[in-house]
Amino acid sequence: MKFDVIVIGGGLAGMTAAEALQSAGLKCAVIAEGLSLHNAPRNAFRAAGGTLLAGDRVTGGDFDGDRLVRVHTEKLGDVALEAGAFVLATGKYFSKGIVADMDKVYEPLFGLDVEYDADRSGWFDPSFAAPQRFLEFGVKAEDGRALKDGKPLANVYPAGEVLAGICGAQGDATETIRKSGLDAADAIRRAR
Amino acid sequence: MPVKNEFDVIVIGGGITGAGTARDCAMRGLKVLLIERNDIATGATGRNHGLLHSGARYAVKDSESAEECIRENKILREIASNCVEDTGGLFITLPEDEESGYGLDYQSKFLEACTKAGIEARAISPKEAIEMEPSVNPALIGAVVVPDGSVDPFRLCAANVTDAAMHGAKVLVYTEFLDFLREGDTILGVKVLDTRTGQKAEYRAPVTVNAAGIWGHGVAEKAGVHIGMYPAKGALLVFGHRVNNVVINRCRKSADGDILVPGDSVTVIGTTSTKVPFEECDHMEVTPDEVRLLLREGCALCPALADTRILRAYAGVRPLVADDSDPTGRSISRGIVCLDHETRDGLKGFVSITGGKLMTYRLMAELATDTVCRKLGVNKTCNTAHTPLPGSMDGRIETVSKRFEGGATAGQKGAAGRQGDLVGKIRFESEEDRKLICECENVTLAEIKYAVRELGVRNLGDLRRRTRVGMGTCQGTFCIRKAAKALAEALGQPELADKLAADYLDERWKGMRAVGWGDTLREMEFMQRVYKSGKPYSYDEV
Repeated sequence: MKFDVIVIGGGLAGMTAAEALQSAGLKCAVIAEGLSLHNAPRNAFRAAGGTLLAGDRVTGGDFDGDRLVRVHTEKLGDVALEAGAFVLATGKYFSKGIVADMDKVYEPLFGLDVEYDADRSGWFDPSFAAPQRFLEFGVKAEDGRALKDGKPLANVYPAGEVLAGICGAQGDATETIRKSGLDAADAIRRAR
Repeated sequence: MPVKNEFDVIVIGGGITGAGTARDCAMRGLKVLLIERNDIATGATGRNHGLLHSGARYAVKDSESAEECIRENKILREIASNCVEDTGGLFITLPEDEESGYGLDYQSKFLEACTKAGIEARAISPKEAIEMEPSVNPALIGAVVVPDGSVDPFRLCAANVTDAAMHGAKVLVYTEFLDFLREGDTILGVKVLDTRTGQKAEYRAPVTVNAAGIWGHGVAEKAGVHIGMYPAKGALLVFGHRVNNVVINRCRKSADGDILVPGDSVTVIGTTSTKVPFEECDHMEVTPDEVRLLLREGCALCPALADTRILRAYAGVRPLVADDSDPTGRSISRGIVCLDHETRDGLKGFVSITGGKLMTYRLMAELATDTVCRKLGVNKTCNTAHTPLPGSMDGRIETVSKRFEGGATAGQKGAAGRQGDLVGKIRFESEEDRKLICECENVTLAEIKYAVRELGVRNLGDLRRRTRVGMGTCQGTFCIRKAAKALAEALGQPELADKLAADYLDERWKGMRAVGWGDTLREMEFMQRVYKSGKPYSYDEV
């Protein structure tokens, strides 16, 4: 199955990007693992003819050089989903957009570059109420494209809290997250 | 400034040893003052496995400790039934233990030593062990069943304090020992500071007992006597659910991370043993290396731990004592040390009780109280081995729960489990009272009100130690605002709610920071999100 754009993650950033792209006439699919609380962009996306694969989960993808060609999902098994561009809107630790183990923080789907402090001692402030450094960690991007091994990928656009520096857990970041979804959509349209 | 107060005996330290000593002294008719600078059970008492040792761990190397343990094990099952869970225990042998000299030959030696110490131990096949405890490492080549159990040290300590008070003892928490009142070679009493009001006071008694755990070192110094103490830090990890139902030990020489204990709704692995400087004892942090070690050894006992969320890490300091006869201080005793400083140092009116373990607190208290009585010329025998503690006088949860008309709710059953026969004092008067505040541990508003009314609770940490509020799988994420509001209102100071919640969150955060990766880090992000993202949650909404 082939789409213009596949959006991985059905939260605010993913849905905002998907709705903007579908409304602009691109053929989009959203793969959303969990429950989306963002009804308005989701309904608008479906009304505009978008494909929502709810309750499915991306397990990995195939690259051709610096291009992500297709992704595989848990439910579709051997049937891969192809697209010209991908939005990665998988969120932070809680939704497993990035994963921390004892020694590192990594992006689990494609092994994208993640910005984090190698020295764990600065990750947390002893005061719960103070800003927490670990919540700033996330995927690195250049001109809207995700970095892998230090180089930007051609067609993978991170959006929302998976990105370094964006976090909704320490204050209201709704507008920042929505804007990053729209930025990803704009970048994809510009690249076409 | 000084408030003059006369007692027969002053006990310094509200851990299990001080609480037990206060109870024993009060039961023997003495007028007792117990002082504690924080809340009860805030030192090593609340920072251990909560293991009701069978003594098997000590059987091979230290038969005296083993015999003490099994005797006290049997006593605690009788007098503190409400604090004890009879889980049973396994000592397992793994294939790699053969190579390090702790294979099945050692198991035979172990069995023999247990039997000699009076510990009922029998070998079972690996298959039987897996049937008994399905989470055990299936690679095991041998197992021995022993009468281990789990004990809630907070509850045990609180029950001793409550009983001491019921026998007339005066209990002052958040009261810091500052110095001794002395005249020549005699200790006459203590100077203390109420850490909440800033007020100082003096209390007098012919005998003062130092039961301050590792801090007893400093207390003794103030009296001008030296106890060669060895602060041994022990780190532990709590897992997000009850992984095992039977205590799992490794059948080999005692080592790091070789005991896995189920306690209430969680499982605890521990411990390590590192000498730390005295000034660190107030600020224990668990290091990444300790966590790594505990995880590695824990997974050898129970492989499922590798995929289980760690709730938090914590550490306590064992008050080990160097043998008086060894000037190098290297020969460390794990046994009980009861010092009459009059015969030892020529200082009258001062006794130190230290060393020992949670398991043998009652015996420690008995020895200390015997010494106090001897010094006071009081001839009363000890009855603590036969007298049940409050909460443990009237059977089990089922019996207690029957008192509720129309059957007990989850919150009432939880309260019955925690407060035992004292549950009758909890007033479930309205629908509101029956409402659950902490849903992990089933704590109701009524129980919180009771804890404030009867158990001297002043903050959420105190409340946690009495009711387990916020101790379960969500670590307070969903209940702390509600609990803070309920507590502040019960204290008659509703404006305190935010401060109570903030202090509690910092304390939980400390335990989580040490294990901040994987699923624990996901929980930490979630916790931040619940409390800090955008609009403030109302108390009732969270």
